[in-house]
Amino acid sequence: VQCIILHPHPPRLLAKRLRFHIVGAFAVSLGVAAFLKFAVAKPGKKAYADFYRNYDSMKDFEKMKKAGIFQSAK
Amino acid sequence: MAYPFQLGFQDATSPIMEELLHFHDHTLMIVFLISSLVLYIISLMLTTKLTHTSTMDAQEVETIWTILPAIILILIALPSLRILYMMDEINSPSLTVKTMGHQWYWSYEYTDYEDLSFDSYMIPTQELKPGELRLLEVDNRVVLPMEVTIRMLISSEDVLHSWAVPSLGLKTDAIPGRLNQTTLMGTRPGLYYGQCSEICGSNHSFMPIVLELVPLSYFEKWSVFML
Repeated sequence: VQCIILHPHPPRLLAKRLRFHIVGAFAVSLGVAAFLKFAVAKPGKKAYADFYRNYDSMKDFEKMKKAGIFQSAK
Repeated sequence: MAYPFQLGFQDATSPIMEELLHFHDHTLMIVFLISSLVLYIISLMLTTKLTHTSTMDAQEVETIWTILPAIILILIALPSLRILYMMDEINSPSLTVKTMGHQWYWSYEYTDYEDLSFDSYMIPTQELKPGELRLLEVDNRVVLPMEVTIRMLISSEDVLHSWAVPSLGLKTDAIPGRLNQTTLMGTRPGLYYGQCSEICGSNHSFMPIVLELVPLSYFEKWSVFML
């Protein structure tokens, strides 16, 4: 009588979990980085560009001079 | 100047400080990327009972976690070096001002044309007028022309000090017997505050720096008045 012993395939639970979550981890961290780039870095650069686009330093100076903050320009 | 509950840098008043601000945003983004990845992986490891006790080698993952950090470091180093070299560009300053650190005040010398020099002491808290800033105001401010490149030569008469103005991205050590140089270019008029940034004795916290950036004509009138 021949006996064929069928070895069950190991379920590879950890490997499946790791594959799923490593992809997830990279996706989350890249998502965080993208969020910071588009919610913080880009608006920051834009704010400075917008401020200086039509900036009039003399007008700003006259406003400050009227407020009386300067020692050299009363 | 600094304000209560401030989280980030002061608003930039020079092109270099703007670059540093954007570089900081870029680097902080990388820091958040790495931190979120590590936090995710740690929480992953703590939320399972599954184990793998027969790992013999891990060539693939070892390659990845060598190459990836190297790439990240290059992504940080390239903008950093760009700004470093930008700071040292030849920019032909129109004015040179010398500052000497003392215990515990700064003195300034404008000697390009005439010999103008004065000391700059902190205004004590009891003598402040309403609206003035505690531990930041000085009797004689450093008046400078705005939108002009200025060379600052910094040294000390006694111990180590450091001449710092955060909104212009400046911090240069004042070392006795040594002349350090930095260049300054303010893009907006106004008052810009800094404090001594190298421990120098009991009144180290009480020797601030105040720059007053004004149009050139006002600077000229002020320097004539001060002579």
